[in-house]
Amino acid sequence: MMNLYPTKKFRFPITAECISPDVFQDKKIEEIRRLTVWEGNKQRILGELFKVKESESETKMVVINIHGDVSRVRRIGAYMTSGQIVIYGNAGMHLGEEMEGGEIIVRGNVGCWAGSMMKGGKIEIYGNAGNYLGAPYRGVNKGMRGGEIVVHGNVGNEAGAYMRRGVIKVYGNAGQFAGLRMQNGTIYVQKDCEARVGACMKDGKIIVSGFLESVLPTFTIEGLKEKVKIENDETAEGPFYLFLGDTAEDGKGKLYVSKTKNPHLNRYEKLL
Amino acid sequence: MRTVKHVTCPVCGCLCDDLELTIKDEKVVKVKNGCALCKAKFLGYSKHRVLKPLVRKNGRFFEVSYEEAVSRAAEILTEANYPLLYGWSMTSCEAVSAGIELAEEIGGVIDTTSTLCHGPSTLGIQDVGISSATLGQVRHRADLIVYWGSNPLIAHPRHMERYTIFRKGRFQKEKRKLIVVDVRKTETAETADIFLQIKPNMDYEVLQALRALIRDQELDVDEVAGIPTERLEEIADTMVECRFGALFFGSGLTMTRGKNRNIDAVLSLVSDLNKLTKFIAMPMRGHFNVTGADMILTWQTGYPYAVDFSLGYPRYNPGETSAVDILLREESDAALVVASDPVASLPRKAAEHLAENPLIVVDPHMSATARMADVVLPSTFVGIESGGTAYRMDHVPLPLKKIVEPPEGILSDEEILRIILSEVKRKKAEQMENP
Repeated sequence: MMNLYPTKKFRFPITAECISPDVFQDKKIEEIRRLTVWEGNKQRILGELFKVKESESETKMVVINIHGDVSRVRRIGAYMTSGQIVIYGNAGMHLGEEMEGGEIIVRGNVGCWAGSMMKGGKIEIYGNAGNYLGAPYRGVNKGMRGGEIVVHGNVGNEAGAYMRRGVIKVYGNAGQFAGLRMQNGTIYVQKDCEARVGACMKDGKIIVSGFLESVLPTFTIEGLKEKVKIENDETAEGPFYLFLGDTAEDGKGKLYVSKTKNPHLNRYEKLL
Repeated sequence: MRTVKHVTCPVCGCLCDDLELTIKDEKVVKVKNGCALCKAKFLGYSKHRVLKPLVRKNGRFFEVSYEEAVSRAAEILTEANYPLLYGWSMTSCEAVSAGIELAEEIGGVIDTTSTLCHGPSTLGIQDVGISSATLGQVRHRADLIVYWGSNPLIAHPRHMERYTIFRKGRFQKEKRKLIVVDVRKTETAETADIFLQIKPNMDYEVLQALRALIRDQELDVDEVAGIPTERLEEIADTMVECRFGALFFGSGLTMTRGKNRNIDAVLSLVSDLNKLTKFIAMPMRGHFNVTGADMILTWQTGYPYAVDFSLGYPRYNPGETSAVDILLREESDAALVVASDPVASLPRKAAEHLAENPLIVVDPHMSATARMADVVLPSTFVGIESGGTAYRMDHVPLPLKKIVEPPEGILSDEEILRIILSEVKRKKAEQMENP
């Protein structure tokens, strides 16, 4: 098990995609210290920015523990396929970008683009996540293609944009445009959600258990449902209004919105 | 007294190229064909000039030579870990090109004022694509004009006169139809055939509703953003029935709730309309060469704005590499501002961070940003005292003329940037020899 301790409070953006179990695997501690990272426009070695310590581990899996604030460190766990990263502090942008397997646990907040274009594995965030959770890089239309992201706090805008498969569970609030242009997969928001949910969605499922600011005019009411499955044996208790959309894209996505938390949507009942 | 004809106006993105200027004693004394903004610039540019390079020492400005100011600027930029190069929309393409070379050399982030106005348009265009045309095509063929979140009568005063409503085209002799969508009744809205006054921050909902209606979908709601659904149906019909429609959008769409997603929706609407008729969309770019700055950045780096060279190669991710976000996160440690006044336009916290760190300003004026600077390099007015190239909002390049001689000894933006670049290269070579 490798333990990383930041040697200072970082001022400049640090690009450190080498902090990944795949890179650390089979490397001696000295080799890990010599891995290349960038601090702003200056190239450094990992040992300059982090104190690296090895400790006993019960598992054979590569585990990396980061102790301290790494909110300016970007691309931690990018492209990882196995192992585990545990961050005891806040983490920076592009955490677990394009990861294919393994697990990342963050005991703090995370910047934007966490789990961007993720293909597999699991990210669990105990604090809040920024904008574009699981969403792709600018101009790319392939979002999350598998895996699971669980956020115990709130998320920013465009969570799960362009999603194709996988699950995002948010136990706090979500910003606007959750599930924008999604094609498949599931997004669950336990608390409140800002407007434009499911904008331009083609297919897939979005469940909002809390208050939803408004439903886009391009969604049509389909019915009422008592209970909705999130994944495996996890369900969300309703009753829920079921909307279909987005008709602006001839979409057939399902948007479930809590009936009890959203009395302003009562007007749709006359159409049922 | 002499007259110069066919002068290109260096004010807004319309880049009107039919001005006639009268010059007396190397001063512009009369402007023909220009709008109020154009006249104000040509007749008043010479006020509040900086005529000597300035360097701040112990909190006070001292007049120095270009050589000393450039040396100080190069020192700041070479030492910086994450420098920001910002502005570029009010200068020539040639200067932008030199700026990009400098950004690459120092491993900095180069961003244009697009980041504050039509950056979201670029993101929208990259996501869904744009169906576009030149303003000449619009002028000669368009029979339906839509201004959405834009007030050209005030911001681009000759746009309607030269290209749309007040101009007859070769193939469009009859009066064109004008639709204006805005949150208040603007001066432009007063002239409209159809004015849609929508609730603020609900453009996205209206655009999506129009898209669904164009696809013959029924809406479950009676009104969208305060507009009855039947009225939206009429607008959708008007758009479908036109022969050639042109939709121009401004900051009222790019900088309100939804930002780039509003543009995503507007461009998708235009794309949908193209299945039924001919329709184009165009952002109403503000500063005269902001389009050029984006174009040159795209040629040279592959990306239109917010380009980060810190890892030695260009990277682009607005939100991460855009100037406002970098300043708000307090990541940069030096800045070079060219042909822009960010202290007057950025959010206060961003402007404070800009001023707290070493700041170099290249500007003809003593702007608010120049007052906060550590090094001020006075430059010529591009399009008045030095020539160059600029891009009109429809991506047509036009030459900018040198009309009068600049004040003695004052260099152009391009010349200043080139000498900073060579000084940076010299300093880096020196460092390599004596690490």
